[in-house]
Amino acid sequence: MINLIKKEFKLSAHILSYVFIAFGLMTFIPGYPILVGVFFSCLGIFQSFQSYRESNDISYTILLPVSKKDIVKAKFIFVLTIQFLTFLIMFIITIIRMTILVDLEVYVMNPLLTANLVFLGYALVIYGLFNFLFVRGFFKTAYKFGKPFVSFTVVGFLVIALAESLRYIPGLEALNSLGFNNLSIQLIGLMVGFIINVLLNYISYKCSVKSFERIDL
Amino acid sequence: MNAIEVSNLTKVYKTFRLDNVSFNVQTGRIVGFIGRNGAGKTTTIKSILNIVKIDNGNVNFFEMDMKQNENIIKNQIGYASGTTNYYPRKRLSDIINVTKMFYQTWDDEVMIEYQKLFQLDFSKTPTELSEGMKVKFNLLLALSHHAKVLILDEPTSGLDPFSRDEILEVFMELKKRGVAILFSTHITSDLEKCADDIVYISKGKIISSSSKDDFIRKYRIGNESLETIILRLERENHD
Repeated sequence: MINLIKKEFKLSAHILSYVFIAFGLMTFIPGYPILVGVFFSCLGIFQSFQSYRESNDISYTILLPVSKKDIVKAKFIFVLTIQFLTFLIMFIITIIRMTILVDLEVYVMNPLLTANLVFLGYALVIYGLFNFLFVRGFFKTAYKFGKPFVSFTVVGFLVIALAESLRYIPGLEALNSLGFNNLSIQLIGLMVGFIINVLLNYISYKCSVKSFERIDL
Repeated sequence: MNAIEVSNLTKVYKTFRLDNVSFNVQTGRIVGFIGRNGAGKTTTIKSILNIVKIDNGNVNFFEMDMKQNENIIKNQIGYASGTTNYYPRKRLSDIINVTKMFYQTWDDEVMIEYQKLFQLDFSKTPTELSEGMKVKFNLLLALSHHAKVLILDEPTSGLDPFSRDEILEVFMELKKRGVAILFSTHITSDLEKCADDIVYISKGKIISSSSKDDFIRKYRIGNESLETIILRLERENHD
């Protein structure tokens, strides 16, 4: 298994998957829908999947002495690692914005989603949706990725729009709290995002293994 | 001893049926798997390797069932689909370094021996190789882990006559070293040059599976060449 993971990072991955981790830094941008950074990091992962098809990565891998289940597992580990690294950047910046930079005017006057724990929860939901709609969708055929990516783009941007608008609904203003205000609500938001992420990842992995076992390559 | 035993392999598609395909590949023999385009050669090979899920039948390598022992078997065999068509922009050395991690029996000395024999430059990428060199690189990957059986899907198609001849010479050298080879082709002169046995497939069915001499004895009319025999059989099958 470890060899397959090494192969994913050394041979199969596209360089942009690594470069686009830097989009996590967008969390610093004031007056910008910062969840778009999550989408861009997914776009980086998409480049690797495009590269799998162009370089016949699956045809090469299938002939190695490894099981089909492990091939899927290695791809998921790659995707989750890139997502985790981007999330880590976003998490650190969010904490900086919640503490050191909490009083900075550009952040206080920010008309768009603020970087708090709820924002991180939304990010986890979008990553989960990427794995569910795109990665799972790819493994249905192991070569078609257009439709899965379009569905992720549509749903992903709907979630971004929802995240940006929910706080304007009376009673839900606390979702956009600055710093550690309404911490319990923020923590609930993060936990809900985390649970959705774990569930979607689990379902996506199981379904991907099942489809990949079934298809002719 | 049989290196590969294929029995009653069946795979049904909407417009094509691989129908009860059975044949054997004995150790140390070169088996030419011949048939026209679309006859079912690639589907058979993919089914043997469990890349395509079969509807019925059995495949054994070294008397082990493929489905139960896939990883053990894949460690002992080499497969190449024509030329190297993966990671076109990666250096050969990078592809080798990753590939070798997967094989317990990988042997760098053997690899260097084949590198010299094939005159391969590992700092190149597959896109920089000629078609003949791509086939040789595939063979090198397969042979450096001491594969006892090579399964090659149309390794000579797309090659010029000189490169083709070179590859066939390599096959005969490998045979001397005890490697069994199953290679599909639609070029009859490949068979004339180096095959010990011929498996002939048409419209998804095995028409004949025997030694080359027996095949010629059985089907020859007058002084027909191997090519003429196969062309005539093919015409008869399509009538």
